[in-house]
Amino acid sequence: MLDIQDMLVRRGSGAQAHSVRLPALQVKAGEILAITGESGCGKSTLLEAIGLLLMPVELGRFSLGPARHEPGAKALDIARMLAANDQPALSAVRSRHLGFILQSGGLLPFLSVRDNITLPRRLLGMPVESAQVERAVQALRLEGLLDKLPQALSIGERQRVACVRAIAHEPQLLLADEPTAALDPHSARRLFELLLSLVNELGLSALVVSHDWALVRDFGLPRLGAISGQGETRFEAMD
Amino acid sequence: MKPWISRLGLLGKLAVEDLWHDRKVSLCIAASLVAVIAPLLLLFGLKHGVVSQLQNELLSDPRNLEVKMLSSGNYDTAWIEGLRQRPEVGFAIGQTRSLNTQADLLVGLQRFVENAEIIPSAAADPLLNLPDITLSANQVILSARAAQRLQADVGDSVRVRVSRRLDGINERGELNLIVVAVLDAARFGRAAGFVAPPLLLELERFRDGYQVPAFGLATGKPVGDLQPLYARARVYARDIDSVAPLERWLNQQNIETSSRLADIDNVKAINHVLGLIFGVIAGAALIGCIASMIGAFLANIDRKRKSLAVLRLLGFSSPAVAGFVIAQALLLSLAGYVGGLAFYGVGSLLFDHLLGSSQATGTFVCHITVWHGLAALLIALLVAALVAVIGALRAISIQPAESLREL
Repeated sequence: MLDIQDMLVRRGSGAQAHSVRLPALQVKAGEILAITGESGCGKSTLLEAIGLLLMPVELGRFSLGPARHEPGAKALDIARMLAANDQPALSAVRSRHLGFILQSGGLLPFLSVRDNITLPRRLLGMPVESAQVERAVQALRLEGLLDKLPQALSIGERQRVACVRAIAHEPQLLLADEPTAALDPHSARRLFELLLSLVNELGLSALVVSHDWALVRDFGLPRLGAISGQGETRFEAMD
Repeated sequence: MKPWISRLGLLGKLAVEDLWHDRKVSLCIAASLVAVIAPLLLLFGLKHGVVSQLQNELLSDPRNLEVKMLSSGNYDTAWIEGLRQRPEVGFAIGQTRSLNTQADLLVGLQRFVENAEIIPSAAADPLLNLPDITLSANQVILSARAAQRLQADVGDSVRVRVSRRLDGINERGELNLIVVAVLDAARFGRAAGFVAPPLLLELERFRDGYQVPAFGLATGKPVGDLQPLYARARVYARDIDSVAPLERWLNQQNIETSSRLADIDNVKAINHVLGLIFGVIAGAALIGCIASMIGAFLANIDRKRKSLAVLRLLGFSSPAVAGFVIAQALLLSLAGYVGGLAFYGVGSLLFDHLLGSSQATGTFVCHITVWHGLAALLIALLVAALVAVIGALRAISIQPAESLREL
């Protein structure tokens, strides 16, 4: 479903430059992969590059799709879009096929929970009502919070809303950047559990960045680990 | 993919929801706009009101448009016609020598006006302001004073009597005219009758000893192919601004003139001074307004950096995010304009109510036209859009990746 070969991303310049190398990454439909590593090793940079927010300096192959619900479709050649720097197309891929969960929720403060969740669907012109979203809202027990503004929610609740928003438009790939970092260990474990069951139920693929090795090990997720070198971090499959 | 118009709707909805959520800050920005727009509208309303009031007073009196020819000359029909064709001229009609513009008016034997002025007139005469009436040869329009002394009314018949001395014999020519209108007293103060130009010419010829059958006498020299000659002309400029060039042109023809140019120049000077004062104040206010708007909008965008980055992350393109910022600026300035207009409305009512009826200030009005209002709206929106573009450029530079990292 996701196939990346020989990707090199560079952040900063000169002596401060830090490179992140990803020799190969293949994620099948329905597969969940954890990206682990020390703080500051470049996990977020890798996620930004996979999330089409950062232009890689080297790239062998990058293709996405087809989604499970449209098996006949061709895979998207993201590498070509990146090479042509076709921002509108990249932005369209991002809004259609990718879902993001951010460390700090990233909810829009001026929209109610319900409007935040439906925004990706409205942006794509999809019908606002969706059985999948309703199931997710029930699974994460958000029914009572739908009409509240994000500022009235606890951090854990906000992260749960962010999870639902990330899957609302039925993306192919979920990218989660330390979704549990701001939570206490107990809540973090519960949210992680909920997130994984949601992704499993919907049959999405997901990349979850986490520095919490124990959590990742407990859920038995395959792992893409960071190997730090001089000015460069390589990410390789660990298990 | 939905058509772009519904995307625009979504963007507009988000912009409004954000403004509403942030209503305290929105109110501050809109209020700062009201604080600039309301006084400017009031000031402009006063300037426009005072100047247009003075101009109306000028225009309501046709004598302000008149350029009087003081010296007499000999002008033929072609010259008068040429004068009429000049762009500065609104109305021109030839007049006979001043001695011959007088005659006695009578009704019956008891009621008469001696030496009433007989003045030529034609359609569109600004002095009469009776555009519907075209005088024919046997018709007359009486001034209020003449009508009062003759006790004549519209439809009555008035006799014109002219005397001459021909070959040592006193002769009296008489002619009957129908009164077609009576002027307002304010239009013309003295006793006068306004007649068609040919009649006045005949009057002059009769006095000069020619044979004019219309006056009921068969004596005198035959008229032959005598061409009409006028001593002067009654000339009115097309508008207030044409008075000066018209007078200059007449002076170049060696014709002495008098006009109310000084009064007109006074009003123009007042307009100029008020315009200058308004311009300087408006300029200062506008600069302050732009500076405060730039500050407010840029600070607002910095505050909303994270939201804008999230919008980008969700797949809104950078032009869409710029549109979001500009739409908010336009909405805020629209709110500011509406508030300013409301304050202006209250202020101008207050001015007109408290000062309008006072004897000392005369008629005092504060008003703007719909076009002025629209122009003010357009300027407000334009300034807001320009300032917002600066903010939007800044917003575009916000990378979606920023939302991934802690800001």
